[in-house]
Parts: sequence; structure tokens; C-alpha cells
Amino acid sequence: MRKSFFAENPSVLWFLACLGLFTLGVTVLAEATGAGVISTSFVKTLGKVLCLCLIAIAMDVVWGYCGILSLGHFAFFGIGGYAVGMWLMYARTEAIVTQNLAERTIPPTPTEINDAIATQIFGVVGSTEFPMIWAFSHSLALQLLLVVLVPGLLALVFGWLAFRSRVTGVYLSILTQAMTLALALYLFQNDSGLRGNNGLSGLQNIPGFEAIPQSVISMAFFWASAVALGLGYVLFARVLSGKMGSVIRAIRDGEARVRFLGYHVESYKLFIFTLTAVVAGIAGALYYPQAGIINPAEVAPIASIYLAVWVAIGGRGRLYGAVIGTAFVSLLSSWFTGGGAPNINLGFYTIQWTEWWLVLLGVSFVAVTLFFPGGIGMIFEKLKRNAS
Amino acid sequence: MSTLLELSGVSVSFDGFKAINNLAFQIAEPEMRAIIGPNGAGKTTFMDIITGKTTPDEGHVLWGEKSINLIGKSESMIAREGIGRKFQKPTVFENQTVRENLAMALKNPRGPFEVLLYRKSTEGAARIEALAAEINLTEQLTRNAGELSHGQKQWLEIGMLLAQDPRLLLVDEPAAGMTVSERGKTTEILVEAAKTRAVVVVEHDMEFVRRLNCKVTVLHEGSVLAEGSIDHVTQNPEVIDVYLGR
Repeated sequence: MRKSFFAENPSVLWFLACLGLFTLGVTVLAEATGAGVISTSFVKTLGKVLCLCLIAIAMDVVWGYCGILSLGHFAFFGIGGYAVGMWLMYARTEAIVTQNLAERTIPPTPTEINDAIATQIFGVVGSTEFPMIWAFSHSLALQLLLVVLVPGLLALVFGWLAFRSRVTGVYLSILTQAMTLALALYLFQNDSGLRGNNGLSGLQNIPGFEAIPQSVISMAFFWASAVALGLGYVLFARVLSGKMGSVIRAIRDGEARVRFLGYHVESYKLFIFTLTAVVAGIAGALYYPQAGIINPAEVAPIASIYLAVWVAIGGRGRLYGAVIGTAFVSLLSSWFTGGGAPNINLGFYTIQWTEWWLVLLGVSFVAVTLFFPGGIGMIFEKLKRNAS
Repeated sequence: MSTLLELSGVSVSFDGFKAINNLAFQIAEPEMRAIIGPNGAGKTTFMDIITGKTTPDEGHVLWGEKSINLIGKSESMIAREGIGRKFQKPTVFENQTVRENLAMALKNPRGPFEVLLYRKSTEGAARIEALAAEINLTEQLTRNAGELSHGQKQWLEIGMLLAQDPRLLLVDEPAAGMTVSERGKTTEILVEAAKTRAVVVVEHDMEFVRRLNCKVTVLHEGSVLAEGSIDHVTQNPEVIDVYLGR
């Protein structure tokens, strides 16, 4: 079965080959493992881009293939980040606190240690106790389970309510925006239990690996992100191949007709919505240790809108298009906003790219939507057609 | 011959307008039935009610040997019970091949996980080939449905209906926009299908209805005006008045 799947979908193999070559290339050029041409911070940037590509292919599946324009998938990404961030923060603080208390003459009791950790983490929001939601934060395994479970359950419940009531199109988009906005507003509160607008920080320090330099840790996360992207790509390509893919695309093109064929459209939408939410959570869990910090602004509605922009520019309905669009736009974005792009002096006015980049992005989005609905991915399709 | 579907006392109104008014209708299995009626007679609403798209305000829709009540069931459940519907405007999935369109309609488990794990089988492939031959699309199996001519799309949609292996086919204006020879072929397909199942054809074209050579039901203002052979109903003065005379 495996063999026939790859034989029927050669583009998946092409993608894996490109991803492998890219990973190898970065490894050879990186500081920790090779020539040292690529700095540690840029390795982190590339690793983060791979995570964004992973959530982008999830977005492409839900929007490009199934026709559900979700503008809330970054909520799931953020939840994944918070879930893993809680363990990172807890475990690291625990190590520091234990070390500090060990210097005292009287050995500390477990309660003392626990209180000290809580004060350390929550002092910034004026609390000295662990909130309920931190109950599992001592266990990496449990928090990793939450990375999958919380986005999955949230998507399942939200999707069930929305799809069952046959909310579609722009109304569903608004509903998903409301979901991510509600989450962001909740997280902004100091008593949310997740440190309010301070968010979780110091996530780049991996407990137990303090002795290992960031250059090596960044490579490990880069590889993990590449593997996750590869696996996610194969997973989605598998779901979208064969009859399942046929039904999903049919739902996008004519939901009512699919119902009259006897398919329970809502179950299919729910399946896709939940599956992509879980993948988004995993992507977030890999992203934030590389970013080092997560705060509620990450799940603000705008983030999910950017996601849609990346996928649109890359070309909807092609998994590789989503990857290309995301890599292209997010790298370009960090170049423009990071001051890499030279300002343009028009004599009477200087275009500063840190401010004008968003305008450029907006114009490109409108242009792609109006004139190149196939996005960047269309170029590859044309090349393929010319070749054959 | 036993009754397959029975509607009795069915009424539905939209914003005060009675689209269907105390309608009674029965069809046996196998049987071919043509439904005619002027615009606004309630033909489409009638199909909407049977297929679960519209819920009637009152009345009963009973199905099969066990007289299952279809009211309140979802479209997909009713389709799985064995009712297939062809729309007036051909609605095939244009971005997919003829084979994919037929494969989707093939009678198989419909749940997401069953479909996800579905493996192509030789029986399935053979069934698709047989259907394609029946609807004259063997040569077009690998083409995108969007590239087909209007008549071919109509056939593909009828083929998709047959692939579902329904006990009742509801066919809305199958011959619309077809050439004379295409019409002949369509008649053949429908007559063949009606040998083993119930087929309801809604059609404006009297010549087409005459060639189906079956019992005719005339709808007017949401209820049955006349029923019988084509010659019988076309001589009915009331029918002539509301429909044929215009």
C-alpha cells in the first residue's frame, strides 16, 4: 500500500527530497555542525519557518481542499506552544529553585519548593500559587499529550457546534476569528493562569540540557521541525489521495450535492477541522521553544489572517504551494521588518520598509487573489504541463 | 409490485405561499412515473421534501416495507436509505475526472473513516466500467467532468445516480438542453433503470414524457390535478386549462 501511494503521488517524494536537501544544506552550513556560514539565530529562524510551513499545509487542507476558510488556526498553534511552554518553564524554574534552596542549612520541604517555584513563575502577575491548569506541568509526557488533546478537543467541540448548525462561508470565518480573539483576550488577563501579557518566556532553555550550547539545541529543533513537516506532508497527502480526497474536494465544490450522494458532510468537515487543529498544535509546540517566548499576542486574530495570506500567495489547493508561500512570505517579512531591506528615498518622502512592508504584503495579497488565483504554486504546475 | 414511497396530506408553505397543498402521492417498485405541471406547481419542492432538503409543515412521507418516516431525517441519511436525486442543472464535480465522480457515488460505506481506509477494488472498477458503458462515457473516464458537453454531464449525473444503486430515482428535467439523439439515449437509460426500481421523472417536454410511456401525474398549485396515462391526462379539460392550453 505504501509503495503504491508514493508511486501514485510522485510530488510527495519530490517534496521530501527537496526538504531533505534543504535540511542537509543548512546542517552543512550551520555554526554547530558545519562551516559556520549560517548563524544560530538564523537556524532558529529557519526552524521556525518550517513550523509555520507545517501549520500552513494544515491551513491549505482545511481551506484549499475542504473549502473551510478558518481564520482561527493560530489559536491551536498557540495552545500547542503554551502546553509545551508550561513544562519548559516549570522544569527550568524547578531546577533553579532547587539549586538555590540547596544552599540553605535546613533541607527544604516539597511544599517549600513548590511555593518557591510558583512565586518565581507567577510573581510577575502577583500570585504565589499554581493555577489548576498547571496540574500536569511537572510532566513532559502529559504536557505533550495536551499539545495534541487540547487543540483537538477544542476543534472537535467548536467544529461540531458550527458545522452541525451548517454555518458556512464568511460566517464560519467570522466565528473562527471570534474564537481566536476570545482565546487571546482570555490569555491577556493576569488571572488566566498563564501569566497574562507576559506570556511564557525562557523557552529556549531546555531543562536537562543546560550544558549544551544553543547552537546545538537550535540544530536539534531545526531537524525536529523538518521531520515534523515531512511527516505532516505525507499524512495530509495520504488523507487527500484517493476517495477521501475526492469527497473532500467535492465538499468544497458542492456541499449540497455531496449530501444527496449520501455522505454526511458535517462529519467530514469535523474530521478535517480537528485533524488540522492537532497538526497546528504540534507545529506550535515545536515553534515556541525556538522562538523562546510566547505571549497572547501570538494568537491574536491577525496571526490567523496572515496564515491565510501565506497560503493564498503560495497557491491554494496545493500542499507544496502552501510551503512555498509561507517560506517566501515569512522570510521576506523578517527581511523587511528586520531592517534588511534598504529604504527608498524618493526625495520628498522616504519609504521605510519596516512600516511599508505591510502595505506591500496587502497589495500582493489583493493582486494574487485578483490576477493569479493559483499563486506561486501555479508556476510549478505550468512548468510540469509544459514538460509533459 | 408493492408501494415504495407514500406521501399523504403533505403541505408546506413559504412566507404564506402554499407551495405544496395537501399532496398525496404513491409510487411502487418497480415503476416509472412522469410528473408534469406548469412553473410553480411545486415539482421541485415535492422533490425537496422527499430528499429531506425541505421539512413539510404537515403530512407523512413513508418509505419502504417498514414504512419508515422520512420527515426529519437528514439529506445524507435519506440518500443512504436508497433515494437518489438528479438536479435540473447538472451538478457534477467539474474539477474531478468522470471516474472519480462515479467512484464517489458507488454504493459503499459513507463514513469518513471507512472512506479514508477505502481500497480500490476490482469489483468497484468493473462496476464503474459497466456504468460508463451504460451512459456512453467509456472514452471519457479519465477526463475532467468539466470538459464534458452539457448532454454528457447530464448522463454522468444519471450514471452517478445509478452508481448509488438507489431504489428510487428522482430525475429533474433530464432531457433539458439535449440534442434529439441524446434524448433518445436518455430515454433508454431511464426505461432500463425503471425495470428494477422506481423512477420519477419531472419533465416539461411532452414528447419526451410520451416516449417514457408511463403513468403521468399532473401537479398544479401544490397538489395532484390528474393522474393516468399520457393520453388520459392530456384530454382532461382541467389539465388543458391550467397547463396545456397556455
